[in-house]
Amino acid sequence: MTTESLVRTEELRIYFPVRKFFGTVGEVKAVDGVNLSIGRKETVALVGESGCGKTTLGRALLGLVKPKSGKIFFDGTDLTILSERELKLMRRRMGVVFQDPYASLNPSFTVYRIVEEPLVVNKIGSKEERREMVLKALEEVKLNPAEFFASKYPHMLSGGQRQRVAIARAIITKPEFVVTDEPVSMLDASIRVEILLLFREIQKKHGVSFLYITHDLATAKYFSDRIAIMYAGRIVETGPTKAVLSEPLHPYTQALIDAIPDPDPSNRFVMRKIPPGQPPSLVNPPKGCRFHPRCPFFMQGKCDVLEPPMYRVGVERFSACFLHEEKVTIK
Amino acid sequence: MDDIEPNDALLSVKNLVLHFTTSRGIVRAVDGVSFSVRHGETLALVGESGSGKSSTALAIIRLLPRNVAAYRGSIIFEKMELMNLDDEEFRKRVRVGGISMVFQGAMNSFNPVLRVGFQVAEPLIVNLGVPREEAYKKAEDALELVGLERSVAQRYPFELSGGMKQRALIAMALITNPKLLILDEPTSALDVMTQANVMNLLKKLKKELGLTYIFITHDLALASELADRVAVMYGGLMAELGPSDELYPKPRHPYTELLINSVPFLRQDKEPTFIRGSPPDPIEPPIGCRFHPRCPYVIKGKCDVSTPPMFKADGEHWAACWLLEEK
Ligand SMILES: Nc1ncnc2c1ncn2[C@@H]1O[C@H](COP(=O)(O)OP(=O)(O)OP(=O)(O)O)[C@@H](O)[C@H]1O
Ligand SMILES: Nc1ncnc2c1ncn2[C@@H]1O[C@H](COP(=O)(O)OP(=O)(O)OP(=O)(O)O)[C@@H](O)[C@H]1O
Ligand code: SF4
Ligand SMILES: [Mg+2]
Ligand SMILES: [Mg+2]
Repeated sequence: MTTESLVRTEELRIYFPVRKFFGTVGEVKAVDGVNLSIGRKETVALVGESGCGKTTLGRALLGLVKPKSGKIFFDGTDLTILSERELKLMRRRMGVVFQDPYASLNPSFTVYRIVEEPLVVNKIGSKEERREMVLKALEEVKLNPAEFFASKYPHMLSGGQRQRVAIARAIITKPEFVVTDEPVSMLDASIRVEILLLFREIQKKHGVSFLYITHDLATAKYFSDRIAIMYAGRIVETGPTKAVLSEPLHPYTQALIDAIPDPDPSNRFVMRKIPPGQPPSLVNPPKGCRFHPRCPFFMQGKCDVLEPPMYRVGVERFSACFLHEEKVTIK
Repeated sequence: MDDIEPNDALLSVKNLVLHFTTSRGIVRAVDGVSFSVRHGETLALVGESGSGKSSTALAIIRLLPRNVAAYRGSIIFEKMELMNLDDEEFRKRVRVGGISMVFQGAMNSFNPVLRVGFQVAEPLIVNLGVPREEAYKKAEDALELVGLERSVAQRYPFELSGGMKQRALIAMALITNPKLLILDEPTSALDVMTQANVMNLLKKLKKELGLTYIFITHDLALASELADRVAVMYGGLMAELGPSDELYPKPRHPYTELLINSVPFLRQDKEPTFIRGSPPDPIEPPIGCRFHPRCPYVIKGKCDVSTPPMFKADGEHWAACWLLEEK
């Protein structure tokens, strides 16, 4: 694993109380023992089905949710023990881009005001300096001419342009780390590629680290260095993206890949392989390996009893599955 | 262009136009589109957002918003010109046992306080006057057909997962025994596994019931899961139409080619690229070929002057591009 990590979690757990009527009846274990690291200038894709805990994990890395236990290091500092004021200072070094550019941009603000806001909130620069920074950020996300776009309102822009505004806002404070949560899933294929290339360009220029949250393995393949596959609150596999996708180790990773078609006319003659059942409830997840009720390699008495540790299965390849038991355990 | 139309067509659409009035001007959502669908085949209707896919479908089943500015062309279904039917005839001959549709985003349109069974049964009750009890039984049958338990009929929408709701919508569309089923982005709100599950169901129903589909999606990969032929729309017009086996490996319209290049392949290593420029303005589309401002092969003085007709590339493969003119 990258020694020079900018962001790193240790056995991170985030539980949400489930309330019914007057009492608390349980907990949603949204993130349940996650070790993840993101290196400097690295993009890590976090992939998994709806509800597996990706957004919660991403928000935790930004210091926006209080974990139940575990640690979150940002540039060596443990965020979980910081005061709200100290956290706020740390957050200046981070940025975020959400899925829905409609919902995340204030409709009554001009583009100028939206992009300027983080500077105002953090009391950065004079009015003139801020103006220069806003226009530069708009140019950087290719909203040219910047002055023209600065005066627009979100509803006057296309989906792709709105997402560019969100990106300009995220990078204006020159963050070292940006969480992008499904940033392109509502966009057309071509615009997706355009936006993802923009992230790549920003990374090259400013050395930013990205967490790219998505359920789309195909874009993750081309736009991330490493990938982490998440299932029911846990990371089941990590490794260099292309290696993981061409030779998946964990049965769940394999199942995810099998579910996704490439454009290929012969697809219509075959049924897709899908594991039976649904992802489990995070209130009462299955004992042992959380994937065991759906896994084709399930070993009774083992997978349903013990929690598989992360096995190191090759250079930078990790998989939490008992099928790798003979390999060395490192975590 | 007549020979695009196979003789055994179940549906044959010619020069279909659907325009809308807006404060900015006339939106030319569908601007003269022709295609046909054979018995038992699946035609995928693909194209980027705003290209006119849903509008084409709504024009076919005559579910029009109030601000229609123009609605014309020919829609022949089972040798019957639908444009000549009055609304009552249309309801009797098309809505029941003719054409059904699963609407884009319909998962959120379930009535939250009504049991799923009655909602699935509704087309029978409304269009055929079938008694409620009998319709409810039929709804249970339909739910079973799409792989749900009969007891799902008794449940309320909020008790169903996304995949179950989508199946229930398909059951609702199938309950009138349609010959043609139009599916508008039926899986785009679903997770990859649930999506694959629904696609498997559609494949199975196609095989077992001999259904004919128009499958609308912006996703070329997903389209290949069902399509025998593909129709590519761009800016309210048909850009390309051809058998999947030819169109995917050898697209003939530059737009289709670039669209395929923008898809990230999982099983091949090929950097995706994007299409420069932006989609055409539906109110004032570019003159000539609507794709010309973005096309790398543009022929000056031609593509920006006159609109290319559909040219035959070969066999049943057609594309509206001047590069094919000699053929
Ligand atoms: N504030 C909250 N309170 C209670 N439960 C929550 C809260 N936020 C998330 N959850 C629950 O935690 C689990 C993980 O949610 P999360 O949003 O992190 O998933 P996700 O992987 O981002 O899903 P999606 O792909 O749908 O965005 C879900 O069961 C969700 O309902
Ligand atoms: N009722 C309406 N009034 C005005 N314009 C409309 C109306 N319905 C659709 N449009 C416009 O018509 C064009 C075609 O829209 P349509 O919904 O058919 O596209 P689509 O290909 O289905 O797109 P998507 O992939 O986003 O569903 C768009 O420019 C759209 O904004
Ligand atoms: S640990 Fe066992 S149950 Fe879990 S994925 Fe591996 S083989 Fe399947
Ligand atoms: Mg999320
Ligand atoms: Mg549509």
